[in-house]
Amino acid sequence: MLNYLKLFVIFLYSAAIQCADIRHEPIQPLPLHQPDLNLKLVDLGDRLFHDTRLSQDGTISCASCHVLSAGGTDRLPVSVGVGGIKGGIKAPTVYNSGFNFTQFWDGRADTLEEQAAGPVHNPIEMNSNWHEVIAKLRRDPDMVMSFEAIFDDGITPQNIVVSIAEFERSLVTANSRFDRWLKGDDSALTDFELSGYRLFKSYGCISCHQGKNVGGNLFAYMGAMGDYFKERKKEITPADLGRFNVTGKEEDKHFFKVPSLRLAAINPPYFHDSSVETLTEAVQVMGRYQLGRDIPAEDVKAMVAFLNTLVGEHRRLKP
Amino acid sequence: MKLKSTKYTRRLLLLLSLSIALALLLVIFWDDESQIHSEVSNQLIELKELEARLDRDVLRVTSFLLSHYDSLSVISLRLKALEKAMRVPGQRRYKTLDASIAAYWDSMNEKLEVLEKIKFQAAVVRNGIHYLPLAADSVKQIDIDVYRQVLALLNELYVYDLFYSDSQLVEINKGVERLEMIRFSDAENQAVLNGMIFHIRANLDDLSELGELKRRYLSIASLEKFEQLHQRYEKHRFDETREKQIVIVTLSLVVFGLLLGLWYIVRSLHLAHHALNQSWMRLHDAVDNLSEAFALFDGDNRLVLFNRRYAEFYPWLKEKLKRGLSIDSLKTANRNRVHYSEITGKQLQGDLPEGRYLEKTQEGAWYLASNKPTSEGGMVCVRTDITDTKRNERQLSKLSRALEQSPASVVITSTDGTIEYVNPKFEAVSGYTAEEAIGQNPRILKSGNKSTEEYREMWNTLLEGREWRGNFHNRRKDGSVYWEAASISPLRDDSGKITHFIAVKEDVTAQKRAEDQLRMNATVFDTTSEGIMVTDADNLIKTVNPAFSRITGYEAEEVIGRSPKILSSGRHTENFYEQLWSSVMQNGYWSGEIWNRKKDGSVFPEWLSIAAIKSDDGLVKEYVAVFSDITKHKQDEEKIRYQANFDALTGLPNRSLLTDRLSQAILSANREKWNLGLLFIDLDQFKVVNDTFGHVVGDELLQQVAERIRECVREADTVARFGGDEFVILLQDIEDPDVAVAISSKVIEALTRSFKLYGREIFIGASIGITIYPEDAGTADTLLRNADMAMYQAKEHGRNTYQFFTASMQRQTIERQQLEQDLRLAIERHELEVYYQPVVKAETGKVSSLEALLRWNHPKKGQISPEVFIPIAEDSGLIGNIGKWVMKNACIQLSHWRQYGHEQLTIAVNLSSRQRELGFDASYLQEVLNETGLPADSITLEITESLLMRDTEETVDWLGSLKRLGVKLSVDDFGTGYSSLSYLKRFPVNVLKIDRSFVHDLPDDPESVSLVNTIIAMAKSLKLGLVAEGVENQEQVDFLLSAGCDLLQGFHFGRPMPAAALTNWLAGYRREIGGR
Repeated sequence: MLNYLKLFVIFLYSAAIQCADIRHEPIQPLPLHQPDLNLKLVDLGDRLFHDTRLSQDGTISCASCHVLSAGGTDRLPVSVGVGGIKGGIKAPTVYNSGFNFTQFWDGRADTLEEQAAGPVHNPIEMNSNWHEVIAKLRRDPDMVMSFEAIFDDGITPQNIVVSIAEFERSLVTANSRFDRWLKGDDSALTDFELSGYRLFKSYGCISCHQGKNVGGNLFAYMGAMGDYFKERKKEITPADLGRFNVTGKEEDKHFFKVPSLRLAAINPPYFHDSSVETLTEAVQVMGRYQLGRDIPAEDVKAMVAFLNTLVGEHRRLKP
Repeated sequence: MKLKSTKYTRRLLLLLSLSIALALLLVIFWDDESQIHSEVSNQLIELKELEARLDRDVLRVTSFLLSHYDSLSVISLRLKALEKAMRVPGQRRYKTLDASIAAYWDSMNEKLEVLEKIKFQAAVVRNGIHYLPLAADSVKQIDIDVYRQVLALLNELYVYDLFYSDSQLVEINKGVERLEMIRFSDAENQAVLNGMIFHIRANLDDLSELGELKRRYLSIASLEKFEQLHQRYEKHRFDETREKQIVIVTLSLVVFGLLLGLWYIVRSLHLAHHALNQSWMRLHDAVDNLSEAFALFDGDNRLVLFNRRYAEFYPWLKEKLKRGLSIDSLKTANRNRVHYSEITGKQLQGDLPEGRYLEKTQEGAWYLASNKPTSEGGMVCVRTDITDTKRNERQLSKLSRALEQSPASVVITSTDGTIEYVNPKFEAVSGYTAEEAIGQNPRILKSGNKSTEEYREMWNTLLEGREWRGNFHNRRKDGSVYWEAASISPLRDDSGKITHFIAVKEDVTAQKRAEDQLRMNATVFDTTSEGIMVTDADNLIKTVNPAFSRITGYEAEEVIGRSPKILSSGRHTENFYEQLWSSVMQNGYWSGEIWNRKKDGSVFPEWLSIAAIKSDDGLVKEYVAVFSDITKHKQDEEKIRYQANFDALTGLPNRSLLTDRLSQAILSANREKWNLGLLFIDLDQFKVVNDTFGHVVGDELLQQVAERIRECVREADTVARFGGDEFVILLQDIEDPDVAVAISSKVIEALTRSFKLYGREIFIGASIGITIYPEDAGTADTLLRNADMAMYQAKEHGRNTYQFFTASMQRQTIERQQLEQDLRLAIERHELEVYYQPVVKAETGKVSSLEALLRWNHPKKGQISPEVFIPIAEDSGLIGNIGKWVMKNACIQLSHWRQYGHEQLTIAVNLSSRQRELGFDASYLQEVLNETGLPADSITLEITESLLMRDTEETVDWLGSLKRLGVKLSVDDFGTGYSSLSYLKRFPVNVLKIDRSFVHDLPDDPESVSLVNTIIAMAKSLKLGLVAEGVENQEQVDFLLSAGCDLLQGFHFGRPMPAAALTNWLAGYRREIGGR
């Protein structure tokens, strides 16, 4: 009885916090705490995330392309896999990826668990397979013990990806200045940054980049208001086809998952093809091809200032 | 009856388990289904709810009420998860529903696809709505009228966005056309307006497309599909439930039927049981009233029935006697309480034998027992009490035994004198057997020296019915004569009539002998060399023997009646005598050494034994003291003591006396505050003399040496032979270390002078180590050790010199101790490692064997040379464990190599002589061979020359016992020691290893060349194998090969390396060989 009463009080309290404090805006704050996470899994996932045994020649771990201190990407146009082979696409950040409605640029994985298996088998990324990886991990008594402490069936592909995904879900960059503003702290943003947010909305960027993750919850056509690929003057690569690669439908060509802008300020270069180096250029390109107009430099500056307030905190992140 | 009941019980159990099994099945069936159902229901409910939420959110998106898509992400992710859970084809829970599920999910996926398009399209439209006012603002900069027109149009557009109607669309299109007709002269302004128009048109197009998508979304019949799925599931569920109901009803009926059967069987069983009980009671009554004890065991040897008498017969079974008692526990309970014997009286082994026999209980009761098997395989036991019969029988037999075993001869005659019975004693005494005697007249015994008169008198007395007593001088069958005291009495029957005469006779010859004995004792008393003194209870002398007088000088009449105190020497305390007497009083005797005084006043030691003689009532009647003069014995003892402390050869104090004296000297040096000097002398070259000229010469030399050393010191100083060729001088009270130096110089000078022995002149020398007390150490042991160490230092500095013990030696000692401690832990800490060096057969280039070499990786000091740590291991005894460890590791390693392709490989392991006393023996080696499965001839034990030189019986036996296992022996570093041919012959050696120092100078140094040639020739003549160590270059290989030694070891082929490295080396080497 007492327990129910307690629960009820907690419920009321949390409901009150949610209702009372957060501004009604298309962008919502990232959660400060994640009570549902299994910390043992997170811990094991952390080790696996940094474990180079997941790659064929023991040179590459998840963390090789998703550098946690540097915004969860390698800040390279394309990533480098085993044997120095270059990939075909810009590595998206691993931070806040748990909030994406689908994984990869083309949404070919629904969940982080499915995603985690991808690079292991990709010949130009880790170029390995579960058989090899598990054989290597089983040789490590410490690893075997860690798995057996959590799972009844020890080291299995499923258990590896579950651990890594759980760790990735813990990679949340909460408490950004913008989130503090959302929670009612007026002093968190300068007037200039706030004007940037208003412009972000009025130019219509907000239509796609919204929600907790400021994006990451829909597919959009690259070049809605102008032919991006034609004017890019570079040959079309398979990666440029986007969602088409998954569905095979003509109408899905050049559709991509709208990326989260949470860490955009610290993760150059930009777009799936890394076609521009700076955030300013990125905003201009977006104005031109997605909104159909050239945005004045002053407005771009304000929006860039706003985008910088979206960068939150994580103990591994050192921007 | 019994069979029937078991049959029932079996059926009962069968039915019972069957019904329980069915009931369980029922429960499981029920439970399983309901769980699946609730899961599926939950999934369907969640699906329904998610779809409703999805539809709601799509409508909110299309009417721009949703400001962000996070909620849609959550729903679509959840839907995908559900799809994965549900769309596993052939899942049992959905059985026939696969098609419906597929149809539903196809439509749902279509919905999700359209949803993605709607999301983007709505974003584009919103984008436009957001942007249009901004675009209008730019028109305002150009023309306010146009701006107003645009504004009006925008208002209409927004209204249309929210509530679109076709009429409104027509209006808006007209407005746009109007705008299109406006022309600005300025191209830039025109572009702004065109942009405005472009965005309005785009918005309209996008909106209509969004409307189209929305229609498409709404037209997807997923709800119908859901309903179909739901219905099918319900139907499926209904069918299943009905099926299940039928099963349940059937099962219930079966269970009910089974229970009915059960009840019937239980009832039948009950009735049968009742009838059984009644007949049982009847039988029980009958059995209970038997006068015999009765017990019945069934086929399982369990007690079924027994009667009261049975319980009375075995009172200790009272608690245990119950139906079901096993025959085995009955046997256990009876063990040691009941003894079994055959009817004839012969002891029976085993418990409860079959058939008829006798039982005797511990309480003394006798039972006639009968155990008979029953047709069932059980046993019927019947017991009859025959205790009374037995008692009578025993009474009679007791009497007859009394006669039989009587110590007196017994003869029974008839009234006319015919012998009817004689007992065994009679047979023994007279020599006549019973058969010979019975029927005869006792006259046969007559010796003839008893008169007829006396016989007549005897017969008269007897016939009058009186007892006659007297002595017979009888003659045995063999003619010898003996004395008998006889008592003859008449035997009467119940009516008082004399029927027999019984004669009881005792041989009195022994009494006569006893008298002789007494006479003899008196002679011993008088003639023994030991003094004897008897005192009375008051300890006054009663008698003494002549020896007493001889030893003490006192005549008997001088001492009788006096106290033995006259002999007291006065050398013993009161306490001594008190202890002596208390021992006599308590234990009845005392013996020990005591000093007494003779009549002439001289004192002498005697060995005295005093015994108290007690009367029957326990009071002391007399004391007997026996003593002997042990003056000579004492002198002998003194001599033995001397031998224990002095060296027999030189007459010098030996090691133990030296240690005593040194300890004493330390005490007095402390008291007197003076210094001591300790000189440790070791003879140089003594061994050579001994080996060359033999032990007799060596012993003579040692005697001369002792003499010369003694001449070098003062009277107060001690010269001791410490052992072998080692001597120690202890200098008392030296003021200055120079005294020690002076004496050392004197000793060295004295010993370097030539010795003349058996006509030869022999030269030796001495090295001396000096240590000073209290400067260098505080205890005797440490002083000796210091001096020993200093002596070694002196030897190293060249012989014939002396050396003081120094602090650096101290350091060395401590370092050595530290190393010893570290070494103690080295095995546990895995610091020891076995390295292997290949031995190559140079002709073929094949690796023939390996030498196992020990390495110590000290955690702080790095690799420590075996030359340093092996002697420590030997001195401290650690070589025992280390040696075993090396042997075992090397063998395990070798067996690996042999398993992996090097089948012919053998190994050589070094052996230290110390290992003999430390448990390395043939049985250990055999154990290692068994464990590793290696053949004995794959092992070679390497011993050093010094081990050979220690040519003791034990060493020879030891090596022999190892050799008998089949292992080989080789001599390491051959040529560096003093071993001679005779040693090689005595020891069972197989291989010689030429020392590296000779190989090193080959082939240029002629001395080495000739030495190696000699060794090779010798080995060949003794038919020994040869290995050359330390081969470093091709010239050496060539030389050795041509000289006839082809097993080579050294850096030229391979360094000693750890096992793993050697494995690689072997692989590489093999390839190399194979490639050649």
